[in-house]
Amino acid sequence: MARVNNWQLGREMSYWYPESRPQRQFAAVFDTNKCIACQTCTLACKTTWTSGRGQEYMLWNNVESKPYGFYPLAWDLKLLEMLNGGAWNGNKYEGQTIFESAPAGERVLGWRPEQQDYAYPNVGEDDCAGQVDKGAGMMSLPHMNWFFYLARICNHCTYPACLASCPRGSIYKRPEDGIVLVDQGRCRGYQECVKGCPYKKVFFNPMTGTSEKCIACYPKMEQGIQPQCFVNCIGKIRLAGYISKPGQERAENPIDYLVRIRKIALPLFPQFGLEPNVYYIPPIHVPLSFSRQLFGPGADEAVKAYRNAANDADLSSLLCLFGSSEQVMTRWSRQGDLVSGLDDKGSTLVRVPRNEPVFTRPAYDKLYQITRTNCP
Amino acid sequence: MLRIALVVALSVVVTSCSRGPVMTTEVVAVPAQKPVATPADGAWDSAPEHVAKLLVQDLVEPRLMKPSTAEVRVRALQNGGEMAFRLDWKDGTQNDLPGPAKFLDGCAVQIPEKVEVNPPDPQMGSAGHPVQITFWRADWQASVNGRKDDIHSLYPNASVDHYPFQAHSLEPGSAAQKEMMQRYAPAQAMGNRRVGPREFPVEAMMAEGPGTLSPGAGLLARGAGVRTKTGWQVVLVRKAPAGLSAKVRTQVAFAIWEGSAQEVGSRKMRTGWIPLALREAK
Repeated sequence: MARVNNWQLGREMSYWYPESRPQRQFAAVFDTNKCIACQTCTLACKTTWTSGRGQEYMLWNNVESKPYGFYPLAWDLKLLEMLNGGAWNGNKYEGQTIFESAPAGERVLGWRPEQQDYAYPNVGEDDCAGQVDKGAGMMSLPHMNWFFYLARICNHCTYPACLASCPRGSIYKRPEDGIVLVDQGRCRGYQECVKGCPYKKVFFNPMTGTSEKCIACYPKMEQGIQPQCFVNCIGKIRLAGYISKPGQERAENPIDYLVRIRKIALPLFPQFGLEPNVYYIPPIHVPLSFSRQLFGPGADEAVKAYRNAANDADLSSLLCLFGSSEQVMTRWSRQGDLVSGLDDKGSTLVRVPRNEPVFTRPAYDKLYQITRTNCP
Repeated sequence: MLRIALVVALSVVVTSCSRGPVMTTEVVAVPAQKPVATPADGAWDSAPEHVAKLLVQDLVEPRLMKPSTAEVRVRALQNGGEMAFRLDWKDGTQNDLPGPAKFLDGCAVQIPEKVEVNPPDPQMGSAGHPVQITFWRADWQASVNGRKDDIHSLYPNASVDHYPFQAHSLEPGSAAQKEMMQRYAPAQAMGNRRVGPREFPVEAMMAEGPGTLSPGAGLLARGAGVRTKTGWQVVLVRKAPAGLSAKVRTQVAFAIWEGSAQEVGSRKMRTGWIPLALREAK
């Protein structure tokens, strides 16, 4: 075990390999407040990558309703229980990561889903904990009436547990962009990666006998185009780019700005210790205790900043860039009420207004003497 | 040499005095007229049996922490160029269906690439001291026995709307259809030999230490396995080790994977090196 820096934990931690950060790291921000769980992202990925034999059950991208949605079943609860929750002291994690709590004979603390755990990808969909009018009739659980949608892909972690788990070195992290891939020529289907990944984003293909996972649409990213699940997102909740190394943040980098500078986008279960690189703007209507468990101690401030975004010209402008272009915007700038997304060379890819013009159409059209809405 | 001579002498005595299978403290490959690739062949009756006690693989992560299969009974035949091993072991569960969190019964024979005084590390060899491995797996056997290579063979009630390679525009068996199929089977596109269909349920490999297993290009690998009343009986055929003769011994090691115990890869029951001797035709 090597000692490595995990900025999300505010401390060093143990990892199977020494610290080796890529030249740049693929990263993304998902705004959970915009997601409507239409699953267009799921289908975009499915039709592009996992329509083959043995891939039937695979969802490299999925959207689940929290708190009762899971794919696979209870993927997060099982590991949280195994970790005994984990404890934060301010921004420093004082519990153990899955690497530090690996049992004897194992490289990481993990568990392997059974086949039936994959059988209900929509379990818990739209389930809130109570009936709308009089609270939960069928269940009595300590929740208010809330839920939110959590879209998930591989986190292309800085310290991938799948990579650490593989005894054959069949999983690698690309030095040029940090995307984590399974070498399909080398994999022998031991499923150690399936067991090790806490997010359960590696899937065993019984037809090819190998494990497969999200590839961050690297052929697209190499051409400066965002992945399929990003560009097909109806709610425009996603922004793909690259996050800088810790201490090298640049305000002109949209991911850096949202994650490290404004700290409005947070990692998913940072306490697991993988330094995941998909960052979530937490839901603003969910109990903060739940958000803290999912996104770490930064949840309170992130929610506060997001609630105030309308009064924050820079933040609200940058949020308007989500879903505004198919291309990867590695830089951004604001000019008054306009915000621009730029590429590495500084060329403008897209320019959008901070506030879209609003037109109010009267229910009754006097010119044609007709009612144009169903519910006047 | 004195010890070896005593062992050989003892083997001869036991052979002449008992009616049951002859037990040996080493694996002795006896001559056969032809390469034997089926477990039921009568030629196996002429080979003495070695009972190899199995140990948990607890040297490298991921380790096997709980023992499963206790022992494997081994017989060996040779016809000069080829060598066949028959492995018998008890296994109350037949695990030959691959799937998420499902693992397969299997077995392997490991022999140093070269006959040398100081054999390689018995745990998959070591750098510069490679080992050759012949590996059988129950799901490959089922495939060779006729189980179709499709999802309905694994999940009879599976319902699949459509695969892209089944598009009407693609002529069955055409290059275009194969190309479409490979788009969604990257392991196949990469030439990974884990992907079927298979001619033999056996794979030849080589290794130079844990985690270095790679296809043994040019190595012979044949064999067959059958389910017995109590477990498995598997024959593994490979080339006889270069330099092995009646005067020079080498080493052999065995491994058994119990699918129901989630054994896979390095999580296995295994032996250390066992002397492998060759008995030549009279």
